[in-house]
Amino acid sequence: MNEKLQFQLRAQISQMDSISTAPAILMPLLEMLRLPSDRISLEKVVELISYDGAIAAQCLRLANSPLFGRRQTETVRAAVMALGLERVRSMLFGLCVNRVMPQDKWVIPPDAFWRHSLGCALVTQRMANKIEYPEPEKAYLAGLLHDLGFLVNSVLYTDGFRECLRLAAEQHLALHVVEEQVLGFSHCDAGQMLCEHWGLSKELVDAARCHHDVCLLPKAGPLACLVHLSDLLCRVRYLGYGYEEFMGVDLGGDAAWQALVRSYPALEHMDLVRFTFDIDGAMDQIVATVDAVFGAKTMTAPASG
Amino acid sequence: MAIEIAKAKPVAPPDSTPVDPAYLKIRDLIYRISGIYYSEEKHYLLKSRCERRMAALRVTSAPEYFEHLTIRGNRDAELRLLLNEITIGETYMFRHPAQLEALRNVILPSILQAKGLISLKRLRFWCAGCSTGEEPHTLAMFLLEEKDKLLAGWSFEILATDLNDNSLEAARAGIYGEYALRNTSDAMRRKYFKDVGNQKLQGNDLLKAPIRFERINLSDDSKMLFQKGMDVIFCCNVLIYFDLASKRRVVQHFYSNLLPGGYLFLGNAESLFQVDDSFRLVHFAGVTAYLKPTAALAGGGKK
Repeated sequence: MNEKLQFQLRAQISQMDSISTAPAILMPLLEMLRLPSDRISLEKVVELISYDGAIAAQCLRLANSPLFGRRQTETVRAAVMALGLERVRSMLFGLCVNRVMPQDKWVIPPDAFWRHSLGCALVTQRMANKIEYPEPEKAYLAGLLHDLGFLVNSVLYTDGFRECLRLAAEQHLALHVVEEQVLGFSHCDAGQMLCEHWGLSKELVDAARCHHDVCLLPKAGPLACLVHLSDLLCRVRYLGYGYEEFMGVDLGGDAAWQALVRSYPALEHMDLVRFTFDIDGAMDQIVATVDAVFGAKTMTAPASG
Repeated sequence: MAIEIAKAKPVAPPDSTPVDPAYLKIRDLIYRISGIYYSEEKHYLLKSRCERRMAALRVTSAPEYFEHLTIRGNRDAELRLLLNEITIGETYMFRHPAQLEALRNVILPSILQAKGLISLKRLRFWCAGCSTGEEPHTLAMFLLEEKDKLLAGWSFEILATDLNDNSLEAARAGIYGEYALRNTSDAMRRKYFKDVGNQKLQGNDLLKAPIRFERINLSDDSKMLFQKGMDVIFCCNVLIYFDLASKRRVVQHFYSNLLPGGYLFLGNAESLFQVDDSFRLVHFAGVTAYLKPTAALAGGGKK
């Protein structure tokens, strides 16, 4: 990406009305997501949700939906208990993104975006656990946020980005490759800038920036590598951007894998086949979770809830 | 207050009763011996397969059945019976559409591109352990359908081998009933089969032309040495019956039989972990395969 374009994009991001200021709930939410589940306090979550009427309503509605047995849940606390932390935090993230993303600007179908983001978050976390990465929750977060650049492209370059998606789907190509050709930059660049603009940590910024090319950084951090591999795995396992890419993925031969092996020698002896069988088995689960949390009914305007 | 709801019950499987740990042991045993793996979400399948064997043995608990598989005198025979149970009903036409999709979308285009540089435009496929012939016939239909598209200007042949004479005879005859044809469209049936009465269809000459049937024992080193120049080898649910040493030998043969850039397909849940590390594991949509790297890849990609 050339310097002029970089400068221009950065300026545009800071002027984007919807995106320039992160929703008030986002920062405390991201703080919370960084913690291991057993260190998150229920009170904190309830407090966070209660700040925001629309989100609280959404929580209650989901907890009272047939999916959860139509319990008569009347407090945010009871709703959070009924839904479980996993679902609550995915939902919070979804609602945050929906705040910054005007409904008519979606280019990638929203359900594909949610499935891919959440799928990637869960796979990244599983992989992190597998290699005994010390902060698996942070890995989850990095997976969840890695494609935020799509929001920027959808809002600022709606037509161009729509053309990218059309070309990529038609020719079964990787979207970032087409973005580079058509727009001159990819969602990785845009994601990096948005994450920087929102003041996210350097590791998260790097994961967003390098998840398609870990060689961009002289020393790719493990987080970027994990996200890169999970992203590949999700895309080759029907959790991509809503179309099929024609590709074969050799995880073990990937530069990110080799970088990880250097830091985590245990990986070299890992049974990659068994791991991917496990991930395959979990994919249905991931899709079910995403549909439960972001399903069409729950994603419509919270005001009606 | 620490939150204790983090492990809330998952949404998907309605029946989420905890799995008997003995099944986990059986799962690991099967994986270690045969290479077939059941992920957590597939436990119900494993359970139902075991239960059929348990009923036959009048065994009532999973731990007791685990003993039958590990310490009782008949353990080898029992393990074989369980593996039979696991692979039962595995064979019908178009059983693995994801394999064919991977061939069409990724594998064949890359092989054609590499081989297109030399003048001999011929592809060789091998179904090793073809049983009653569903797999080679499926492959033949698939390739014949691509003849004027992807494979325009190319010729191809399929070697279909098995150890069992009865299976081979059935495969050669190519007569199939409704079960084997359940995934075969009417158009395909009309084009590649003829009605032989009794609600059976038999493959016609068009379908049989590219297939050569032969009896080969995969453990017969002298015969294995002569199957060179393969582009893609299919060997589904065959190696699961081999012990580790024989498995290694067969897989090494496959490796040298394949051309660089060629692929080996195993059964859907089969793994080569700790059997071989010359192949590269490659993921495609809905299926995995093993690649024999080209010289350039082999240098860079090896661990």
